[in-house]
Amino acid sequence: MNNVIECNNLTHYYGEKLVFENLNFQVKEGSILGLLGKNGTGKTTAFNILNGFLQSTGGNCLAFGEDTQRLSPATKARIGFLIEGHIQYSFMNIHQIEKFYSRFYPRWKSAAYWELISKLNVSPTQKISNMSCGQRSQVALGLILAQDPDLLILDDFSMGLDPGYRRLFIDYLREYAKAENKTIFTTSHIIQDMERLIDDVLIIDYNKVLVQSPVSEFMGSFRRFDFELNKDDTELKREPFIMNIEKVKNKVEMYTFSPESDVKKYLDDNKILVSNFAQVKMGLEDAFIGLTGKY
Amino acid sequence: MWESVFYKEWLKIRWFIVGYTLLGILCIGYLFLTLKHNFAFTGGKNVWNTMLFQGHQFYSLFKYVPLAGGLVIAITQYLPETINKRLKLTFHLPLAENNGLLLMQAFGAGSLLIAFLIFGGLFTGFSLIYFPIEIVADAIITILPWLLAGFAAYFMAALVVLEPNRVFRFLYSLVGGCFLTIYFASAGTAAYGPANSGLFVLTVLLSIAVVFSAYRFRKGEM
Repeated sequence: MNNVIECNNLTHYYGEKLVFENLNFQVKEGSILGLLGKNGTGKTTAFNILNGFLQSTGGNCLAFGEDTQRLSPATKARIGFLIEGHIQYSFMNIHQIEKFYSRFYPRWKSAAYWELISKLNVSPTQKISNMSCGQRSQVALGLILAQDPDLLILDDFSMGLDPGYRRLFIDYLREYAKAENKTIFTTSHIIQDMERLIDDVLIIDYNKVLVQSPVSEFMGSFRRFDFELNKDDTELKREPFIMNIEKVKNKVEMYTFSPESDVKKYLDDNKILVSNFAQVKMGLEDAFIGLTGKY
Repeated sequence: MWESVFYKEWLKIRWFIVGYTLLGILCIGYLFLTLKHNFAFTGGKNVWNTMLFQGHQFYSLFKYVPLAGGLVIAITQYLPETINKRLKLTFHLPLAENNGLLLMQAFGAGSLLIAFLIFGGLFTGFSLIYFPIEIVADAIITILPWLLAGFAAYFMAALVVLEPNRVFRFLYSLVGGCFLTIYFASAGTAAYGPANSGLFVLTVLLSIAVVFSAYRFRKGEM
């Protein structure tokens, strides 16, 4: 399977501040990859570099084999880009904006746009600036679907949307992507949404990639063990196999890629007495917080 | 594709360019109404005397009209692009690197040109009713730098509005403000005769200045 996006040794600084260093990742053709990271870990920075709106300090990104700093018009036409907050030309109405974009894209599918707009119960002369955030998101999505791009880059698509619109957006998008073999690279602050949408996950923390794998593989290998310490003040020594420990009084959550036997051995070796030991089933959001920490 | 870019720009500036053109026409109408009044009430001799020997320009009210037009069109055209960094949408269009922006600028400058041609045509036509060609030609030479200042203001304002860095924006405004005084340095009738061609070249060169702000925007300057 070909890589639609390939970022190699991507490094970026804002002045003296390092955002990420030697970031490497790929997005395979036909896959839906979700980029997860806390605020300030460089998600939007990576998206801006990918779209050629920001020059990285080091490394490079390729989209369809072309350097993203110098994308040809033909390659740009193959990339649909949703800006954070569903930004569009809000001085246009929904008819005007469709007319505007349609001439740029050879594969333009008006029907896809109007099908989505028909769900909004708005007139063709409705100005985008007078629409709700949810309605604007559908206009932005409709424009991307009509463009019929091979790659969709969606920066925080769930921002400002109520649950109904988020669900509509995700379900529509996933069905479209799978039916048409489209590649999606996306991010969202609402990880439950990502869980419903993505096939693969890329989790970044300050300066590094923590995980890049299929979601099922990550969820199958990343584990959470809860237990209660017999003594509140017991010190839990950090070992390489422990990804994160969250401790509130004597209640402990331990996150690891290792099996239960390794955790029990660690407790025995360190003579830590515990009760109510159990492996807890996690959703993607729990796993993300477990991996990156609450703070 | 240029039709689409022009369509978008038209949607942004249509009321402003139409309103501005109407105001400009009213201004020219007022100039000639005043002139007619002066001919009627102070006499032709007096009008000629003040024009030829006292340097009076009956059209001096028009002096900053093109400048105002350049500023208004640049702001209405480019300010919406900076809100929420919408310029990203333009850069993402399947066009060669600066083509989208240069097409936008071509539309803005073209709209101004049409307004200025209407003003120039009306001014010349009405002037020829009252004055011989020599006086009208001198008036046109006097007005030409004001019209060029309209274009220069448009290009400079585009540069300032699209500049992503506040410090640069301030410096560009400062330089732009000083630069524009060149077009208004002398109030003498036809004083700019020898300088107009140079000013024209300078103004044309300014038209690509916006590419610097665009380049800095794309490189992630903040």
